Amino acid sequence: MIYDCVIIGGGLAGLTCGIRCAEEGLRTVIISGGMNSLHFSSGSIDLAGFTENGSVVKKPFEYIKGTAAKKKEHPYTRVGIPTIRKSLDFFKEKIFFEGITLNHNSDYNHFHVTAIGAVKPTYLSQESVFSSRGKDIIKSGAKIAILNFKGFRDYYPEQTAANLKQHPLFKNSELILGDISLPYYLHTEKNLHEFRSTDIARIFETERYLPRIADEIKRAAGDADAVSLPAFIGINNYREIRGKLEAMTGKFIYEIPTLPPSILGLRIDHAVKNSFFKHGGEYIAGKKIESSVITKGIVESIITGSRGTSSEIKAKYYVLASGSFFSGGLQSGVSSISEPVFDLKVKGDSKRSKWYSWNFFDKKSHPFLSYGVETDSSLNPSTQDGKTVKNLFCAGSVLAGYNPVKEGCGGGVAISTGYKCAERIIREIKK
Amino acid sequence: MNRIETDVIIIGGGATGAGTARDLSMRGLRCVLIEKNDIASGTTGRNHGLLHSGARYAVKDHESAHECMRENKTLRKIAWHCIEDTGGLFVTLPEDDPGYHRLLLEGCRYAGIPAKEISIRKALQLEPNLNPGILSAMTVPDGTIDPFRLTSSNMLDAKERGAIILTHTRVSSILKEGSKVSGVSCITKNGDVIEVMAPVIINAAGVWGQEVCAMADIKLPMFPSKGSMLIIDYRINGVVVNRCRPPADGDIIVPGDTVSLIGTTSKEIPYDKIDDYTIDDDEIDILLSDGEKLIPNVKNTRALRAYCGVRPLVAVSGEAEGRNISRGIVLIDHKERDGLDGLITISGGKLMTYRLMAEKTSDLACKKLGVKKKCKTHKVPLPGSESRFSSGRTVKRFSGIPDSVVGSTFYRHGQRLRNIMTGEKKNYRLICECEMVTEGEIEYAIKKLDVKDLVDLRRRTRIGMGPCQGELCAYRGAGLFHEYGGTTPEGSVELLHDFLEERWKGIRPVLWGDGLRESEFTYWIYQGLFGLSHVNNKKKKKG
Repeated sequence: MIYDCVIIGGGLAGLTCGIRCAEEGLRTVIISGGMNSLHFSSGSIDLAGFTENGSVVKKPFEYIKGTAAKKKEHPYTRVGIPTIRKSLDFFKEKIFFEGITLNHNSDYNHFHVTAIGAVKPTYLSQESVFSSRGKDIIKSGAKIAILNFKGFRDYYPEQTAANLKQHPLFKNSELILGDISLPYYLHTEKNLHEFRSTDIARIFETERYLPRIADEIKRAAGDADAVSLPAFIGINNYREIRGKLEAMTGKFIYEIPTLPPSILGLRIDHAVKNSFFKHGGEYIAGKKIESSVITKGIVESIITGSRGTSSEIKAKYYVLASGSFFSGGLQSGVSSISEPVFDLKVKGDSKRSKWYSWNFFDKKSHPFLSYGVETDSSLNPSTQDGKTVKNLFCAGSVLAGYNPVKEGCGGGVAISTGYKCAERIIREIKK
Repeated sequence: MNRIETDVIIIGGGATGAGTARDLSMRGLRCVLIEKNDIASGTTGRNHGLLHSGARYAVKDHESAHECMRENKTLRKIAWHCIEDTGGLFVTLPEDDPGYHRLLLEGCRYAGIPAKEISIRKALQLEPNLNPGILSAMTVPDGTIDPFRLTSSNMLDAKERGAIILTHTRVSSILKEGSKVSGVSCITKNGDVIEVMAPVIINAAGVWGQEVCAMADIKLPMFPSKGSMLIIDYRINGVVVNRCRPPADGDIIVPGDTVSLIGTTSKEIPYDKIDDYTIDDDEIDILLSDGEKLIPNVKNTRALRAYCGVRPLVAVSGEAEGRNISRGIVLIDHKERDGLDGLITISGGKLMTYRLMAEKTSDLACKKLGVKKKCKTHKVPLPGSESRFSSGRTVKRFSGIPDSVVGSTFYRHGQRLRNIMTGEKKNYRLICECEMVTEGEIEYAIKKLDVKDLVDLRRRTRIGMGPCQGELCAYRGAGLFHEYGGTTPEGSVELLHDFLEERWKGIRPVLWGDGLRESEFTYWIYQGLFGLSHVNNKKKKKG
């Protein structure tokens, strides 16, 4: 059987691409190696957060427009502003149907609070992170209770409070601390104090516990107007749980992403996957691509394998959305950077000492974070001999030319390049 | 300004300084130990953690070899909880001089080291990962010793016997009265000045001893020699593997805790570079390629980190070069050498002979003070090693807690497990999952073991030393640091920052493959998800 489109990588880029292709009726399959990076993301979609020298970007589209002319290799330049906008609208709409509302502050960035109390710019957030009501509450200088689940080892609210207090946005707010606990959950075989965010999310997802949780929140928060919790108020039906908790407590509930697994990210992950399935997409998990066959600039097939068995998969078009080093989309040897599936041309220094900065938190970040596959303006990569591979497109963090962390643009690049690849393939197939 | 009166001041909190503090305290003397950083943060904590049998020195330096063997036996008795009896092998590779094997056997016999020739088959049975192409093999009573635990135990014992330990405190001047020393003036991390008065000052600052002497207007030139080591993920050998040839770079692989370590290079460095722990790419190449010759599996493993230490080699006479200079113990009475009464320098030597060095130094200090007590450090076990009983029985006592958790704590703290494994269930939860460090252990370290920051905490507990290099536990450790009163919440975020920067120093030189993947992930978490450098901290902005 020949697919219309095979997507390598089941992260934000691959899934966005997959949904768009499947929606158009293309026979689409995603081959995924494992968990994607949404599992340890903030769950907000960053578009463009920081400028080159590290200052905060206020209006991301304007900023992209301004820098696009200067940086030819940047994925945003390849995609273009209209398609970036279209892709984000598309994404928002798709996951809205899966129970996740993503809010934005018209054309401005808004802020989300991190576990250690840093305030970071982002573009799209779930309503527990950004909403007009939340914005008003912070502006009004309301009393905010920063709560934790008692004994939870992956969050320390004192740090959040201490650093938030020093931020101009919260200068009028009164911040108090508190713990919530569920006594009957202490009788578990498992050490409650080793619970991860997902374990606690399951407690929140259990309907009959909600009144008790609400009582605990009311007790711990006292007369505070708003409550912040580490993000664990449910994964799958979170909108409903949050609504109920807000009604029961009469307080605005804010969420802060903690150490992985990130519940905010998991929600997005579940939502995009569900959307992909609903549009008829096929998803193969836990497979590794071992090799590929390319003749005359055309990918003929890819060979997948796991536990010694291998099989060939053929398609008209291929999308490489395999991520960066961590996900295995890029590989590094003692002094080489490569792309393992197609052995594509990559951008990266051959001298190891050039890959990193001397300090871990260097202002300039690390060069290796912007290494990746080089493509032309239609996101087609080329092989080592410089030949363009015409039926292969690249999306997401496997791409060269941007630093997702430093620029605060990982989510935006993944969604917009994934969408652009899909558009290209749809156009080609419909010809 | 604070003022402390005491009998003896010890400058330097390495194994020798800590050992001296313990020795003197056991003889009933009051002492104050001043360390500019943390205990075992200098050369002591930057070696390969080998419990030498002495065989390495048996051909060229019989005295050192004999000392090693004697101390090896003593340490097994007094510090068993810091030691693992792995045994050691000396193997000859095809490219090595086959005659050295015989020479080494003879040297060992002369020095009293029970070396035994064994068949190649037997050697491969002992260490299946060994290069099967070896020409000959012998066993020696090598083992491994944890320098952090050893130093910490000495320090704890000294403290329990009344000694005062000032870490993160820097000596700023040596006070003199005529031709005698009378004390020191020092500055703490917070900038407080403390004056410590004593008739005897022991300079146990190792390679930094040159600076200490300079404060007393005495010239004591050091010949710093840098040794670099590479840690590889997973413990690929169970037995210490030595290469049977004259001492050279990359000739040993030591298993330790959950990792293995390839040692060591030797490189002369100028004195002004002793605090600059840079590892060159060519050193990494040498260690990897030579390590691979001993255990071919090295090439399939991941390099976890690289670090280096600076050997405190004193130029007693004339010129000297790296490996050729004597590594013997140097004890200097500055009254005889420079006419300054009360100042003693102890240097040279090695981790293995720290106790012996402490004994000799304490003998001299006692002589100066007219105290006639004898050394007992070779007889009295260190805290944690009080009495010997099996880990199996200990693990059984804590039913309901995973054996691996109890086992790890017992492994690190010996009998002091009793002070750690107590109280509520929260204390048993794992904070560092790689190294199985519990919250109880962290609390104990912060409250009892002079821990001032997360880097110190790592030295006491191994938090963040495993394969992930502190990915999750660094944050948890920082949170707990505040919880147990070690710092303010803002302060704990700064400690987190410093801890990750410190980890980075060791990862940087080996940043490729899985190490690079792991670092990318850590960067995503701490910079991407947490925005560590975006924290709106006034103090940091000024700096």
